[in-house]
This record gives sequence, structure tokens and C-alpha cells, in this order.
Amino acid sequence: MAEQKRIATSKVAGTWAWFFQRFSAVALIVLLGIHIYISHFSGVGEETGEEPLITFGEVSVRLDQLAYIVVDYLMLAMVLFHGLNGTRTVLFDFERFAKHQKAIDITLFVVGVATMIWGVVILFPFITSGG
Amino acid sequence: MKISDFKWLFGRNSEFWPTNMKTGMWAWVGHRLTGIALVVYVFLHLSFISTASLGDGEASFDDLMATTSQPLFVLMDFVLVIVVIYHAVNGLRVVLFDMGVGIKRQKLVFWIAMAVAAVLVIGGMLAIWHLVFPEGVA
Repeated sequence: MAEQKRIATSKVAGTWAWFFQRFSAVALIVLLGIHIYISHFSGVGEETGEEPLITFGEVSVRLDQLAYIVVDYLMLAMVLFHGLNGTRTVLFDFERFAKHQKAIDITLFVVGVATMIWGVVILFPFITSGG
Repeated sequence: MKISDFKWLFGRNSEFWPTNMKTGMWAWVGHRLTGIALVVYVFLHLSFISTASLGDGEASFDDLMATTSQPLFVLMDFVLVIVVIYHAVNGLRVVLFDMGVGIKRQKLVFWIAMAVAAVLVIGGMLAIWHLVFPEGVA
């Protein structure tokens, strides 16, 4: 029974989704390395002294530069695809959800687009504050 | 949704029953559990960043960052580090297998991957431990 379910899943998930899940995975490892280095190891604490705090001011200074904005938004897009497509794969391993493939695909797509917009908008205060 | 619906999944004879699982199966279950945890984390992360867009943006954001740099939160960050490293290293192992590399020695590759993960986790621990125990451990 479980065997049949797994066969069904691999058909449902799709080659395109399979490839980009791998592509985004490798991209995210690189981007996450950059993200952690930038956020926690470079320049943190210069404003506040010894405390390793992330502050609005410091983030604003970084987000004055296009490169940082691009990295953040690219990472957001990758993580949303990878996370939501992964959720899709997990859901489709359950017969109960695999039956509603189309509805789940549409729902996850809408959630992804909405979250992308949300994520883009919430950086505006940092970007527009002028550092 | 009845409990018996999940018998194929969690029953004593199912392939998910702990003693029925082999190494690769544990790796797969771990990958899914950490994956789901990370999806939840990403949404939490966005919620925290969005404080800068609410009310007195700059002050709300700085207050939240001050709170989340408390030792208890850094300890939770360390849990996040472990979860991310497992998911990343095991994920790379999956990518390697998809490319046809190492499948014949899949069990060995898993344990090599876990050794790499352990080294990375220790590195992470060294980097943040002083924030969890700012007074030092007696």
C-alpha cells in the first residue's frame, strides 16, 4: 500500500519541480552562507559597541546598497520555492492530500506569491531610511 | 481523521515503525521533519522583520532584536543551526545520489555526511556559545 503511494508521488511531483528543488537547494546553501556572514560576522556591533546586536541602523546602512537588496530578495524567492515545494512533496505522500493535487498546487502558489510580496514590502523601511 | 487512518503510516508493521526503519529511512524522515520546521521558521523570521514596518518601526525592531539576543533565544538559534546543518548536509547527499554519485555506498556516505555535519555544528557552537553563557560556564 505504502509502496503504491510512493510511486504515485513521484509522478505527481513533476520533473520540473524536482530539478528546481535541487537547484534552489544548492543556491540556498551558498546564499545562507552569505546571509549568516553578513548578518552576524561582518560589521555587527560597530554602532553599539561590544553587544553583538543587529540594529535597524546597521541593517539600513547595508540595504542602501543594491547588492545586499538583491541577495536578500533572491534568497527569499529561493527559500519560498524550496520550502513550499517541499511542503507539497510531503503533502502528496498522504493519499488524503494527493487526491486534491490541483487545489493544493494553487493554494501553495498563492501563499508563495503573497509571502514574496510581504517579504519584499517589509524591507522597505530599511531601504528607504537612507542609512 | 481517525487514528486508524494512520495505521499504514505508524502501525507496528508499517515501514515507519522505528525498528523497521533502516539508515536511509531515518535520514529521509529527519529530512522531512527538519524541512517542515524550517518552513515554520522562515515565516517566523519574516514576522520578526516586519516589526520594522509597524508602529514606531525603528524602535520596535531594535527592541525585538535586543530581546532575541538574550541567551535563551541564542540557545534556540543553536537548535536552528543544528536543524539547518542537518537539512543542508543530508540534502547535498540526496543531490549526490540523484547525480548517481555514491549510491552503492549510500550508508557510508550517510555517516560521512553526518561526520561533516557534526564538525559544522561544533563550529557553530564555538561561534555562539559565549552568547548563550555570557558569564562563562563554571
